[in-house]
Amino acid sequence: MNGSIEEVFAKKKRLKIMTHVVAGYPDLETSQNLILAMAEAGADMIEVQIPFTDPLADGPTIMAANHKALQNGLTPKLCLKMIEEIRDEVKLPLLFMTYANLAYTLGLERFVSESAACGVSGLIIPDLPFDERGYDDYYFWLKECNLVGIQVLSAGLSLSRLKKILKRAEGFIYITLRVGVTGARNGMEIKSVDFIDRVKAYTDLPLAAGFGISSVEQITNLIGKVDMAVVGSHLINLFNSGGKENVQNFIKETNQAIEQVS
Amino acid sequence: MEQKRKKRSKTAGENRYFGDYGGRYVPEMLVPALEELSGAYFHYRESQEFQNELEHLRKNYAGRPTPLYFAENLTRLGRGCKIYLKLESLCQTGAHKINNALGQALLARKMGKTCLVAETGAGQHGLATAAVAARFGLKSRIFMGEVDIKRQYPNVFFMKTMGAEIVPVRDGTKTLKDAVNAALKYWIEHLEDTHYLLGSAVGPFPYPLMVRDFQSVIGREVKAQLRAYENRLPDVLVACVGGGSNSIGLFYPFLEDKNVKLYGVEAGGLGPGQGENARRLGENPRKGIVQGYKSYFILDDEGQVQPTHSISAGLDYAGLGPELAYLHDAGRICFDQVTDVEALTAFKTLCQTEGIIPALESAHAVAYALKIAVEFSGRQIMVVNISGRGDKDLFVAAKELDGEGWLRFLKEEANGERIN
Repeated sequence: MNGSIEEVFAKKKRLKIMTHVVAGYPDLETSQNLILAMAEAGADMIEVQIPFTDPLADGPTIMAANHKALQNGLTPKLCLKMIEEIRDEVKLPLLFMTYANLAYTLGLERFVSESAACGVSGLIIPDLPFDERGYDDYYFWLKECNLVGIQVLSAGLSLSRLKKILKRAEGFIYITLRVGVTGARNGMEIKSVDFIDRVKAYTDLPLAAGFGISSVEQITNLIGKVDMAVVGSHLINLFNSGGKENVQNFIKETNQAIEQVS
Repeated sequence: MEQKRKKRSKTAGENRYFGDYGGRYVPEMLVPALEELSGAYFHYRESQEFQNELEHLRKNYAGRPTPLYFAENLTRLGRGCKIYLKLESLCQTGAHKINNALGQALLARKMGKTCLVAETGAGQHGLATAAVAARFGLKSRIFMGEVDIKRQYPNVFFMKTMGAEIVPVRDGTKTLKDAVNAALKYWIEHLEDTHYLLGSAVGPFPYPLMVRDFQSVIGREVKAQLRAYENRLPDVLVACVGGGSNSIGLFYPFLEDKNVKLYGVEAGGLGPGQGENARRLGENPRKGIVQGYKSYFILDDEGQVQPTHSISAGLDYAGLGPELAYLHDAGRICFDQVTDVEALTAFKTLCQTEGIIPALESAHAVAYALKIAVEFSGRQIMVVNISGRGDKDLFVAAKELDGEGWLRFLKEEANGERIN
């Protein structure tokens, strides 16, 4: 069975890493192996994206991976099965990330309970905000199935809305380092740094930060600011140019750098 | 009573849903921008100054009111009710799209935005956006699917000439749906100085409501014009439905007039096969949450959005406006379809009978009107929305209707043989 999210944040390591995998990219077996390889190389948590035709929050890299996976015939069912097969082998928490339509089409109850049954610890559905219809149902089933629903927040959020969201937040808070879509970039926006401080002032939950991370240095810069760095598009780029070894090397280098800075 | 009405109008502004449809299903990072837009819209909607400015532009720039024309020859051909045509095709830039573009551009300026971003399918909304951007001194960036760029070149050329930057979209199906995704993503990255001028009554709240409001001028004019000509309400309204802005614009002022029958015409494309049409309300309509709103979409069993087809780029879209979805369920609007071939035939028929060149989108409405006119008596009145002009469809229509002549022209042009 997988470790829990709390256990990850209870670890002594000063900055954790969550990596991202698009299920079925470039094919189902390879993505499954990639999850195992990431766990072996030292990722602390892995976010597995269930591909959708219209991934609204994703930039070109992850969008292309979504489309490729769908072309290969990936379905949510296959994705769940793929995770179920390796859940005992992977000793760290896995999260599903996907878009509301896939969960809505399957039925929120089924989507949440089947995700729980295949062994993930939590879900990220960026286009299902807490105050839209369906969210209460979703939240109910999360509780029922003992999963956490991760909230993705960005600078620009009003204080009153932030407080309302934090009331329902659990596991950790995922903060985007840019107001924009996913994708490897350089640097982070000043307003996002300010926003991290603001969120910290209102919650005791651990914070994760992602969007736009493309170097080890960007990650070590997050030490002391947040509890976990999230790397997505950059890992896909690394995979595309040099396979899973390239991805593993980046995770290892990052962990070494975190050790050194700490 | 007065107080009750006031209360209702206030909550109407806060309700993001039409029945169970609509909503604001977007990543949290878009919420502040949509809240800002809602706040500004509901503020200026009540402002007399804003409305006066818009009315002035409608009249002097867009060319409103557009004629409500009694189509005598078409009526004879239909062998049923009297057919009137609402000629949105005579608007500046050639389609109803300007109604919404003017309203939103004015709003964007009030909000201090300097750039407009828009998606376009047929190019009519892109053209309207490019035009208002030029008029108001704003920058414009138009996202357009690569497939649509190929089939709507005249509009691409005019958008560029007006100073718009055209961004080809090569993702997914390379049509309207993907242009909406690309425009939304661009907007997410440029919220501070950019307004997303969404062109149809779709997307996250407040777009479906705001676009409907700006397009309702069509139905209001029809009501007043028909009262002047016939001193009565129409019996039937017919409009084509892509996302649904021209149809909801025509229908909305008549929703409470229960005796007025409303028909929405979807693109039947090549036939009923998967990927051959753009019918959201066909045999097994599916509900979903896509592009920020809940409605009917063309989806597979898993919820993946499926490719669509229509000869008209403007109807070639996988989603239905949420208010139309609600009115469909409520039984207020009947939806039916017209195929590519039927639309082309109607395109030719309207040219030959009335000397009016409809957009291929609007030709769907004409085809359907001719199908059902016979079901009504000679004393009854039908209004068909000619949402746009067909000049933009030259490349598609000429190939189909004048194959040889058109090919010869293209060859001569390409070889530089024509004498200027």
